[in-house]
Amino acid sequence: MQPPSKTTPFSLPVDSDHKATKFRPFTISPPHMRAFHLAWISLFSCFFSTFAIPPLLPAIRRDLHLTAADVGRAGVASFAGSIFSRLAMGPICDLLGPCAATAAFSLLTAPAVLSASFMSNSTSFIVIRFLIGFSLANFVACQFWMSSMFSNNVVAVANGVAAGWASVGSGFTQLVMPLIYSFLINTVNLSSSTAWRVAFFVPAFFQTVTALMVLAFGQDLPDGKYKRSSNITGQISKENAFTILLNGLKNYRGWILGLTYGFCFGVELTTDNILAQYFYERFNLDIKTAGAIAASFGLANIVSRPAGGLVSDEMGRRFGMRGRLWSLWVVQTAAGLLCFLLGRSNSLWGSVLVVCCFSFFVQAASGLTFGVVPFVSKRSLGVISGMTGSGGTIGAVITQLLLFSGSSGNYMSTQTSISLMGILMVFCTLPLTLLYFPHSGGMFCRPNYPPTHQQHYDHLLQCQ
Amino acid sequence: MEIHQSSLVISLILLSGLVATCYGVPFTSLNKTIGITATPSIPSGQVLKGGESTLTISWSLNATSSVGIDTSDYRTVEIKLCYAPISQKDRGWRRTEEELQKDKTCQHKIVERPYNPSNNMYTATIKKDVPSATYFVRLYVHNSHEEVVAFGDTTDAMKMTNLFEVVAVTGRSIGLDIASVCFSAFSIISMLGFFILEKRRAKT
Repeated sequence: MQPPSKTTPFSLPVDSDHKATKFRPFTISPPHMRAFHLAWISLFSCFFSTFAIPPLLPAIRRDLHLTAADVGRAGVASFAGSIFSRLAMGPICDLLGPCAATAAFSLLTAPAVLSASFMSNSTSFIVIRFLIGFSLANFVACQFWMSSMFSNNVVAVANGVAAGWASVGSGFTQLVMPLIYSFLINTVNLSSSTAWRVAFFVPAFFQTVTALMVLAFGQDLPDGKYKRSSNITGQISKENAFTILLNGLKNYRGWILGLTYGFCFGVELTTDNILAQYFYERFNLDIKTAGAIAASFGLANIVSRPAGGLVSDEMGRRFGMRGRLWSLWVVQTAAGLLCFLLGRSNSLWGSVLVVCCFSFFVQAASGLTFGVVPFVSKRSLGVISGMTGSGGTIGAVITQLLLFSGSSGNYMSTQTSISLMGILMVFCTLPLTLLYFPHSGGMFCRPNYPPTHQQHYDHLLQCQ
Repeated sequence: MEIHQSSLVISLILLSGLVATCYGVPFTSLNKTIGITATPSIPSGQVLKGGESTLTISWSLNATSSVGIDTSDYRTVEIKLCYAPISQKDRGWRRTEEELQKDKTCQHKIVERPYNPSNNMYTATIKKDVPSATYFVRLYVHNSHEEVVAFGDTTDAMKMTNLFEVVAVTGRSIGLDIASVCFSAFSIISMLGFFILEKRRAKT
């Protein structure tokens, strides 16, 4: 058993893998905290781009002659794009390393954001939203990167803060894009139709710059570039990649976490898409106020997702994996109940209050989920992260298609759909009870095997 | 005389109700007392272009439909461009609501004028920001309290006749397209550049 090295050149205390055991988000000490800041900022720009379209929809739908069905389909398309890309990102991270993977996805989807200025009908609108959605794969790379840089006792809070601060991009864009659009119309005197097209240069530029920064200043591991253990022969490397993929897919925990993540993060994504419209149409608010409320839903991510990560690490410290699982189940079920309540709320202020609470709980649940993911499989970390992340967007697609697409609008009102979404959340969180880790137990079961030497050491680390 | 008195009483009740609810008037409470026509500047069957084409609108008090209705409180008229049902289909943000305050049928104001029973004409240019859709023209009459008391349509009750189509100016331009392509190329080239650099560094 090797004690943590005290003679390393790192400015943060590290474990035997040189992963940081302390998380200090307000410093930029290389390589750990610098990696953290690069990761969350580049993911922030991807969220900013993907959700740049909803706040400008009133102008876009006027220009492109869109129907409600077109808008719904495009919303689904934006998530569908990210399902495949997140699944692919898992093995790509295992192969190329998170830095290269993040930058590649950002730089390849920036042209899609720019192509938004070419849109002229509903088909191009749907295709562009599909392509821009690919950039959300960077989420998997971000979590992979954080899990490579930070030790077990702080991995959940590192994941939570990175993803939480990055998710703020979805709320920030709801505030900023209308401002850019107004500026272009009022000050630069462009027509509405030109203004929204020019406005998309901003997210594209931001995405490109952050990607280049990741390439220039980021490193995959505390010790340097990502290297597969089999640099020696390419054959072994290919075998490993496929085995890693299969290993991840065979693990039932990846599937369950994918399902539950679908009903916390997926619900969050769907709510990002429909909230402004809901307040605009149900309570007759003007577009800016409705946008501000929708923005505050996304902005809550600054604190709520990190809070989820903190709770996960704290519960992990006290009660091990059992604590992490129980806290995830409680928080996500509470989020489901609040979502149900939102649909039943008839007053404006009541709805705003419920939205605040709902945003906190649903985002904390996302943070808590990625407090469990790093422990599922060390070998296939990328694949499991990809499956969970993908499950998130699959959940978004399912909820959006089932409850908020054009055809469902004929059978039930938006508020009924929101309540139903809450009920679905509560039911789909129940599979967490089935999760079982041989060395840590599950929600209702004790561990079957005594902790091994390595687990004992990990446990000691968590207590420091 | 009796008809006049009873209709006066009814309109007084209506007016007092209107004072309480301000603009929250149901559409069915309005009297269709104004006859209005809108003639496009181009032959029928063709489409109007946003920013270019004009509409000549003329309106006057319809003698037959305003019998027994008190028109002394008519002060101003507001003329709006309204979406025809075909452009409202599957577009909830343009739907027709009973309550005028919530109604989203008429979103484009053409002009506001003081009320005159006859000899009114106005030539309006279709504004640039009017989206591509099928329209008709509606006139709302306001009283001295800024409440809507009457209206007139260029189309029939089913909103099927006398509709005209507008094609809006597109915001795309060559300059914008070129800028997009250049920026995209920069993005992809910089990515390839970095990867080639990495490979070279790995070799040395």
